[in-house]
Amino acid sequence: MSIVTADHVSKWYGQVIGLNDVTLGIEPGITGLLGPNGAGKSTFMKLITGQLAPSKGALTVLGEPIWGNPSLYDRIGFCPEQDAFYERMTGLEWVTALLTLNGFDQKTAAEMAGRALEEVELSDVAGKKIGAYSKGMRQRVKMAQALAHNPELLILDEPLSGMDPLARRKTMRLIKEWARAGRSILVSSHILHEIESMTSNILLINQGRILAEGNVHQIRDLIDEHPHTVYVKAAEPRALAREFLAEDNVLSLKFEEGAVVVQTARPDVFYARLTDMAASGEFGPIQEVTSPDDNLQAVFQYLVK
Amino acid sequence: MMPAQTAKPRVSFMGAALRIWDLSLGQMLWSRRSVFLGLLVGGPVLLAALVRIVRALTPLGRLAINGADVGGPAIFGMMIWLLYVRFIIPVLGVFYGTALIADEVEDKTITYLFTRPIPRGAVLVGKYLAYLSCTVLLILPSVVLVYFLMVPIGGGSIGASFPSLMTDLGLLALGLAAYGAVFSLVGAWLKRPLVIGLVFAFGWEPGVLIFPGYLKQLTVAYYLQGLVPHAMPDDSTISALLQVFREVPAAVTCLAALAVITLGTLALAARAVEKREYILEQ
Repeated sequence: MSIVTADHVSKWYGQVIGLNDVTLGIEPGITGLLGPNGAGKSTFMKLITGQLAPSKGALTVLGEPIWGNPSLYDRIGFCPEQDAFYERMTGLEWVTALLTLNGFDQKTAAEMAGRALEEVELSDVAGKKIGAYSKGMRQRVKMAQALAHNPELLILDEPLSGMDPLARRKTMRLIKEWARAGRSILVSSHILHEIESMTSNILLINQGRILAEGNVHQIRDLIDEHPHTVYVKAAEPRALAREFLAEDNVLSLKFEEGAVVVQTARPDVFYARLTDMAASGEFGPIQEVTSPDDNLQAVFQYLVK
Repeated sequence: MMPAQTAKPRVSFMGAALRIWDLSLGQMLWSRRSVFLGLLVGGPVLLAALVRIVRALTPLGRLAINGADVGGPAIFGMMIWLLYVRFIIPVLGVFYGTALIADEVEDKTITYLFTRPIPRGAVLVGKYLAYLSCTVLLILPSVVLVYFLMVPIGGGSIGASFPSLMTDLGLLALGLAAYGAVFSLVGAWLKRPLVIGLVFAFGWEPGVLIFPGYLKQLTVAYYLQGLVPHAMPDDSTISALLQVFREVPAAVTCLAALAVITLGTLALAARAVEKREYILEQ
């Protein structure tokens, strides 16, 4: 049975179309939702998490309509894209408080929150205020609140955004573990490499339409033909840049404040090398890795043609 | 295998609202809005302290309005009506009530509350209860301090006036409840709730209260004034005007009307939140 079904679903924001006549069925397991910013990923995520109602068409999640059906959230965990929190609460207080909204008493909720934070490796900072968390910790505490009540379906909107390479690798491993434990997971990203590391099953979305469903490898070949831009924020960007210059796959480099922006022809090779460099510690802490999606946009345009 | 679901009872509407209250109260109490409005409710305390100091420096002087002697209890009563009921309570209602959901939308934290197995209406009611607790905590010390500063002036008895203090506090709580509910509806319905709320509180309400007719029944202030326990000075132009404003319905009518306004607008607000889509800015 499909975990999510959409039957000719469209969503308009006034005159602007967010999602255009989408019909699909998402099967259990990990599914990657891939598309550039503004492609309609967030609209799709908001529709399947019941934050928005379809303007047209029918949408079901785990066999039931989601809009106006709050009881379904017992079976769904959602990690939103936005970096928004109750900053003055500690990670443990926040996850516990959200679990009490699922109906758990305070004691049970605190125990479950502790387990979830342990799962995302935040136990040591569980008592620290979220406002003092690093970007990677903030991403992980969002995931903790999504999985703490043991949902059947996890919906993760850009969960790796802004994480450093090691945190990305750990998180991708965690997501795969959760899937192996029997959860279905829908994860969105605008970075093919990330999705590819977790699943070969993708939904490709652009301009509010699903362009392709299925195997990631065919798409990857197309993506690799285009230069891929990576923004690396680090304590020592010049040291990193020197190392990058020795790599065959690096096409160009430029510096921004506290960061180096790299164009690479082989994102998979580049990310693997970057992870090794972060793990070695020789180049100082790497604080943030993001990928502007201009190159991906080019591939989508190519696919649309 | 996926970890087994931990057994739990389903949360009732009010149970969910109380959990939202628990989550929101701390956030609300320590928000910038509360700090700002805390300063606002400190205004009457400063004013009362100033009057008290002036009285202490001129012990033989008398306090009079337009030539008529007024005692501390009467001044306290006027402060309750003019400063608290007609100004501070509507301001608190507007600034908190219209922002109950809007703040969460602006901070983009609403997603966490709306993707939990509780009705969205319970989120609004819980946040409304947090507003009520927070504003009562702001108002209570201010009113009590003003009471102790003002009532002894001119030989007023703190003990004798104490029942009216209790009535005042009850009245203020009712005002906070009614205005908060009305403005939570404005916040749930409209895109620019603050402007509309201010127009309602400081344009519509004082405006229609002046004129005879039935329109004043469409205000909260009309029903609150019927519950004000203090007699106003009655030998001046100002007091004559005040008496015009104070065309008062019976206390039972006022209580019933305030209950209907509070529960009715809160129910409508909860329903509006259930139906409305909140689009977070990217």
